[in-house]
Amino acid sequence: MAPSGPSERRAVDSPLVEAFFERRENLLLFLAARTRCMATAEDLLQDLFVKLSTTDAGAEVKAPAALLYRMATNLLIDHVRSAQRSSRRSAEWRRDTRVQLAGEDVSQEPAADEAIISRERIRLLADAVADLPPQMGRAFRLHKLEGLSQAQTAQAMGVSTKMIEQHIAAAVRRLSERLRP
Amino acid sequence: MAGTLAHKDRAAAEAGAWLARLQGDGLDERDGLEFEAWLGAAPANRAAYEKALSVWHEFEDGADAILAELSDRTRRAPRPYLPRRWLVGAGGAALAAGLALAVLPSAVMQASAETYVTGKGERRTITLADGSVVDLNAESRLQVSFSRGARRVVLGDGEAIFDVTHDAKRPFTVAASDRVVRVVGTQFDVRSRKGHLTVTVARGKVQVGPAGRSGTGLAMQLTPGQRLDVAESGRAELKSVDPQETFSWRAGRLVYRSQPLADVVADLNRQFDRQIEIADPELGKMPITGVIVLDDQAAVMTRLSLMLPIRSVPSERGLLLLRK
Repeated sequence: MAPSGPSERRAVDSPLVEAFFERRENLLLFLAARTRCMATAEDLLQDLFVKLSTTDAGAEVKAPAALLYRMATNLLIDHVRSAQRSSRRSAEWRRDTRVQLAGEDVSQEPAADEAIISRERIRLLADAVADLPPQMGRAFRLHKLEGLSQAQTAQAMGVSTKMIEQHIAAAVRRLSERLRP
Repeated sequence: MAGTLAHKDRAAAEAGAWLARLQGDGLDERDGLEFEAWLGAAPANRAAYEKALSVWHEFEDGADAILAELSDRTRRAPRPYLPRRWLVGAGGAALAAGLALAVLPSAVMQASAETYVTGKGERRTITLADGSVVDLNAESRLQVSFSRGARRVVLGDGEAIFDVTHDAKRPFTVAASDRVVRVVGTQFDVRSRKGHLTVTVARGKVQVGPAGRSGTGLAMQLTPGQRLDVAESGRAELKSVDPQETFSWRAGRLVYRSQPLADVVADLNRQFDRQIEIADPELGKMPITGVIVLDDQAAVMTRLSLMLPIRSVPSERGLLLLRK
């Protein structure tokens, strides 16, 4: 698990480690924006801690917070690459284990890393996406559900990346209002 | 109380903006530092962000199932219009103004199809999913269906200005009358009223050809400043025009060059409730050249009577035009 208790602190923390503990929660929320779930974000935070404890802390770090976010960003980039590989693997695995029951696709077992969402909840989520204004809905679907980057989504829709970011922002707001009253 | 609500509202909007920004392709530490500053700025910010994040993660987990559910709906789509799915344009104003925006169950992409209808005196600007913008004139009907390889629009009786975004892989076609207007990225006006079609090009290249195999006539290539007139009989005529004159209805002006009064009256009858009738058919042939500003009908009638030797009197249906 990620470091959190004081026992994990060394007697004399480097300024970098100190800066890490000061903004641990913020880093977690920053990482979680790009991970599947909070647990994955916690794992990455753990990786970040390991990395910074092993870096040469003797060197004076002028801007520890900036360095931490830079490290976090790099971790996210690596993580997204490997997550794409593993999700492709798990999609293949799921195909292999899928069976047909009365015309319905049934997975024999849900993928281990996947939370199980009820059929009912899926319908609610799909309704919420279907009710977004068309362009906003399309941006959300391409970017969030089909996994295109914002730039790819912008290209697919023939609008600017900034426009996609705005659509996603508005969609997130609408969706979180509707789905979590 | 109201203050707290406004506060939460703002936090929710900003949380959405942050979550979107953090998905950005060029994410770096500056984003992180600014994000941290925002989190610390108000307690409501952190709560709003966490709420948005949990919904975001739910969509991540359910992505495949939600996509399957959405495409199932598209496939099932039994009826062209489901009243349940009538959307109110941008938050109510559009419906209030009489614009009916019907969205098919498939609206959320793939082959999404939407129908836009304008009433008398109504003009609407519609931004399509690809970023193309359509200005719809009064009493017009437009059906839009986009798919992976094609952008198809059907203009029923009506007039529209299309400002089409460039996408060579997905040609944009407008079917109107029995012709198909095919473009890649351009700006043009299509008017299809009672079987009479005109296509006016302001930018780019536009091809107008017969619709389907049964259609007759050759395809024609139009360049900026050209207008193709296709009469109901099928007789086509190519003219040089100032496209901005054709486009002027968008700004609430009608520009005419030696057009018969009957045509002008037909246009006005799409703009105003009180219908105008011309007493004498010979009067209807009288040519008009000038600009008519569409503010209110009484003012329009006054200006019209200054352009031609005519006067209007109230009638059972609305107004009757007589020779002065």
